Amino acid sequence: MPSKVDRIQDDALRGSFADAQAALKAGEYKKVVELSSAAYVELLQRKPEMLQGQEQFMNVVFFPRLGAHLVVNNDGRPEIVWDREKFSFSEAVTYFEFTIDKLLKAGL
Amino acid sequence: MKFGLFYEHQIPRPRDKEQWDPDAEHKMMKNALDQIELADYLGFDYIFQVEHHFLEEYSHSSAPEVFLAAASQRTKNIRLGHGITLMPPRYNHPARVAERIATLDLVSDGRVEFGTGESASEMELGGFGVRREDKKQMWEEATREVVKMMTQTPYKGIEGEHFGMPSRNVVPKPLQKPHPPLWVASSRRETTMVAARLGMGSLGFAFETPDEAKERADEYFRLVREECYPIGEAINPALAAVTILSCFEDDEEAIAKGMEGAQFFAYSLAYYYNPFTGGNHKPGQENIYKDFIEAPEDKRWGAFGDAFRGFGGFSGGAAKEEPEDEVTRALWRAAQRGGCIGSPDFVKDTLRKYEDSHLDLMIFVAQCGARSHEDVMDSIYRTGTKVIPEFKERHEKHQQWRAEQLAGVEHEINSTI
Repeated sequence: MPSKVDRIQDDALRGSFADAQAALKAGEYKKVVELSSAAYVELLQRKPEMLQGQEQFMNVVFFPRLGAHLVVNNDGRPEIVWDREKFSFSEAVTYFEFTIDKLLKAGL
Repeated sequence: MKFGLFYEHQIPRPRDKEQWDPDAEHKMMKNALDQIELADYLGFDYIFQVEHHFLEEYSHSSAPEVFLAAASQRTKNIRLGHGITLMPPRYNHPARVAERIATLDLVSDGRVEFGTGESASEMELGGFGVRREDKKQMWEEATREVVKMMTQTPYKGIEGEHFGMPSRNVVPKPLQKPHPPLWVASSRRETTMVAARLGMGSLGFAFETPDEAKERADEYFRLVREECYPIGEAINPALAAVTILSCFEDDEEAIAKGMEGAQFFAYSLAYYYNPFTGGNHKPGQENIYKDFIEAPEDKRWGAFGDAFRGFGGFSGGAAKEEPEDEVTRALWRAAQRGGCIGSPDFVKDTLRKYEDSHLDLMIFVAQCGARSHEDVMDSIYRTGTKVIPEFKERHEKHQQWRAEQLAGVEHEINSTI
């Protein structure tokens, strides 16, 4: 079976995750979190139903809160709030895996 | 597939009293040791003992290293797992963890499985002053350093993000070389993929469908082969899942004797891990068991009831909707959530599905809620004599599958699967 990155259908998002994978290997953990978080915000913007009702609670609260977290502004726009600058390997993997699973589930 | 027992040391408060009987905790600990001795005799492969603090009724297991040391002297073969040690340094200084793991490994003749984790409940995080957003980073740093303490002579020391210490020779060293097998608690799916990349076994709950579990196993082993940067000096590729067990001669008896305990497990877990209830728990003043017993039947799986649908992973029957018949419905629900509440044939049927999805280790919660010691012993005995043997006969086939998955891996492997 192809890797999860290769299973992303959207070219731009697949490219972004290929960059995140390379950053993980290079030890650039903040970059991994940045790319993963940006992809998740992109997903929420493309699938606004993920921010409706109970779905909003599940998709916002369960987003990792390990130094960067997700908020939904008053105008309904999702945004990443940064709590710190430095991330560990396991934190970077957590953001990466959470987002890639959501993208694949959404069929992007 | 191998098998283990999982101990939270649950002890519901009496419904009609403010506190437990004076001997209740003593009796529960001694009973648990009897159960583990029986499991060892019957050929169970592992026990995993949790570490929790302040989670009254749900878990009175705050010093697992002491309990496991006692178990080591009552057993001969069973592996002694921490399921898990809380690694943020405010819970346990990393040097103390290294010393305790090594000592337990020595007194048990090398039977320790070193499970690690972060903790998640507000009672514990708040009680020890651990910031939720930092706990994973703390876990990683502490785990990495504890492994060095067990293998370096002397340990070189660290000025880390979350703790620091100068160079010291941390003694004793564990009997198993380079160190006991490493595990991490993986209640979130992402953590299983962290485990793979760090060369650790994954200890998770059985939340998934067969297809999801198989996909997870395939991805886990792909990562071990292709993207593994071991946190230790040897890797422990292994997938374990926890589910609830009640195994009796027939399904009705298994439900009668086991369902309430399974529900209390889920109810009290949800109570402490839901920040709205667990975060507002009044220490020493609540009676969770009384609330549970008085709750309507449809609320007894707790606040995360819907999320627990799938706990156990696999439907026990073909029905997609809840059956109308009461017993069948209870069984169906057990299969949806707990998986292993039924006759030996029913339990085997469930376990074969896990086996087909290449699970390495199934860990049973047998002691939970207000289940009697005699019933827990009965359930363990029946599982050991009527369920496990056929899986043991097939384990060699699973080991061949693992060997294929791990072909070409250059890291040292010290898994006991």
